[in-house]
Amino acid sequence: MADAGRHPNIELLTLSEVQRVDGYVGNFKVTVLKKARYVDEKECTACADCLEVCPVVKPDEFNLGLSTRKAIYQEFPQAVPAAFVLNMEDCLGNEPIACGKCLEACEKRCIDYDDQDKEIELEVGTIIVATGMEVYDPTELDEFGYTQYENVITSLEFERLINSGGPTEGHLIRLTDRKQPKTVAFIQCVGSRCEKRGNPYCSNICCMNTIKDTLLIKDHWPEVQCKVFYMDIRAFGKGFEDLYKRSMAAGVQYIRGIPGDIYEDPKTKNLILTAEDTTTSELKKHEVDMVILSIGVVPPGDMDNTQQQLTLQRSADGFFLEAHPKLKPVDAATQGIFFAGCAEGPKDIKDSVTQAGAAAARANRLMRSGEVTVEAITSMVDPELCTSCGICARVCPYNAIYVDTKKKTPAVVVEAACAGCGTCSAECPFGAITMRHFTDEQIMAQIEAILAENAQDKIVAFACNWCSYPGADLAGTSRLQYPPNARLIRTMCSGRVDERFILKAFKLGAPIVLVSGCHFTDCHYINAVTWTQKRIEKLWDKLESLGIRPERLQLDWVSAAEGQKWARVMREVEQLREAVTAKEIEHTKRVITEDMLKKRTKKVKAKAEAVA
Amino acid sequence: MAEEAKFKCLRCGHGFTAPYTPKVAEERACPKCDSNSVRRLKEKKDS
Ligand code: SF4
Ligand code: SF4
Ligand code: SF4
Ligand SMILES: [Zn+2]
Repeated sequence: MADAGRHPNIELLTLSEVQRVDGYVGNFKVTVLKKARYVDEKECTACADCLEVCPVVKPDEFNLGLSTRKAIYQEFPQAVPAAFVLNMEDCLGNEPIACGKCLEACEKRCIDYDDQDKEIELEVGTIIVATGMEVYDPTELDEFGYTQYENVITSLEFERLINSGGPTEGHLIRLTDRKQPKTVAFIQCVGSRCEKRGNPYCSNICCMNTIKDTLLIKDHWPEVQCKVFYMDIRAFGKGFEDLYKRSMAAGVQYIRGIPGDIYEDPKTKNLILTAEDTTTSELKKHEVDMVILSIGVVPPGDMDNTQQQLTLQRSADGFFLEAHPKLKPVDAATQGIFFAGCAEGPKDIKDSVTQAGAAAARANRLMRSGEVTVEAITSMVDPELCTSCGICARVCPYNAIYVDTKKKTPAVVVEAACAGCGTCSAECPFGAITMRHFTDEQIMAQIEAILAENAQDKIVAFACNWCSYPGADLAGTSRLQYPPNARLIRTMCSGRVDERFILKAFKLGAPIVLVSGCHFTDCHYINAVTWTQKRIEKLWDKLESLGIRPERLQLDWVSAAEGQKWARVMREVEQLREAVTAKEIEHTKRVITEDMLKKRTKKVKAKAEAVA
Repeated sequence: MAEEAKFKCLRCGHGFTAPYTPKVAEERACPKCDSNSVRRLKEKKDS
């Protein structure tokens, strides 16, 4: 951190919040709100004279409320820049003006009560998202008594407690009597690996953190007994298994089983835990002086804003989703944006440092090359047809389209930002957008060719390039048996499947149309797949209003690994196809032709009126 | 806010209720046949 603070090419903006991000790879414009510090960070030497005189006492957030701080303070001893900050809300309290004691005490005169928040505009080529994590709040898990018993603390509180810079200067004490505990229990997986409460994922760091804590205790206070209650110990990193063995050899007792509840002895303030050791099926009571809840890791609270500003994806656990888990583990789906640390998922310091290095290298490589290779498949707007309605800009997952709906200027595609999903093209009500290499004409021609003969026997299946098409491929290479009458049309994304393609297929006699794409969490184009679903839902309504059974339009999310699912879908859809009668098909052809005609007449009329 | 809505599977015909948040796109699957052709049945206004 200190190195970063000193580096000539790094500008550290502390107490700052990103307000807006515009632009695209190579040309991001970031608006940052730098909040007032009220202390000149260049002049302040952190002498602490102000701290002596400040009369305000508040809980110290860094020590999780285990100690206090003043209204003017340094967040933590290693903070960069090493300057104090004045919390104006704490300073004033109910007073209209500051008491002025710190200003008097500061010889260097670096305190300014009139300091103001500033908006800063930055132009950057790439962005690294390192928004970190928060810890799980165990208050909802009543059975562990975190809110009832003072001697039940979290692993983070314990961390501060035994830190030499912490509230006890590193002395191990329990909170009720300030005495050194004789027995300490750790409970693992608090808020992790549970489907019902907390989070279903493993938080990755807490097993090793507990092992480290037990070794620390054994090194400094060998007489303290440690008991660790766990589901299973995940010591998977380099050297981790050795640490685990060292901890056991030091006498730490590992008990496989999580206590059902914890009670306090009101006299001694000791805690009584009942837990089944699942290795022996023995139910046992354990009396300990102190309990440490090994709490999990959760995404920070303000992820929504970051996600929106940077058009990022999130995985089901709430952390940011990488572009590809194996091939692009530090890249976001949006070009020019990278991840470092827990923003992308729970990880330890070593992994965070590794990922940060990788993200910096990826960003550097991109910026040094000075140019980016854009997708060959991008969208193109015909300004003659565009009415500036703004729909395309609203649906684009990458914010790659700009339309000024007020000035009525035609839409403009930023090709460097366009990923080529085709959603804009499918959603444009005026047919003003062409997708390079996946034009309407090309796709319509495929539909016509498929249905030119024996249309009644065929299933027209749209499959996306990244998931469903490889899923179908896998079904084939795995020699899975399924009816052979589906005819696939590949699009980059299911978002490209225009309602006109589907209606055209029905008009030409298709008994069934299937639209398939990636599962929502796998969508290669952030959230383009959600527009596919919305479009299909609207089409079901439309088909019904035309007297066509909505069942004839099928939707399925099939991943590249789901060859089995593809084969099953094919079998099920074939059954549906068999039930479609020739009469039904004829009726569909007629009503869709009539509907299309009606629409065309309306359009011509509107045009004529506009000219008149 | 999530509310309950009625859904119908357009693959197997199974009807079910599930939480539904207006304007939030969620991946849906039929609890009976696992198909994603799940249609939300809108309340008819005058019936
Ligand atoms: S790291 Fe260990 S304690 Fe933490 S959630 Fe995973 S298994 Fe549980
Ligand atoms: S959706 Fe079509 S008509 Fe509307 S602004 Fe975009 S390109 Fe123009
Ligand atoms: S093709 Fe997709 S990424 Fe490109 S402009 Fe259209 S909606 Fe945006
Ligand atoms: Zn079903």
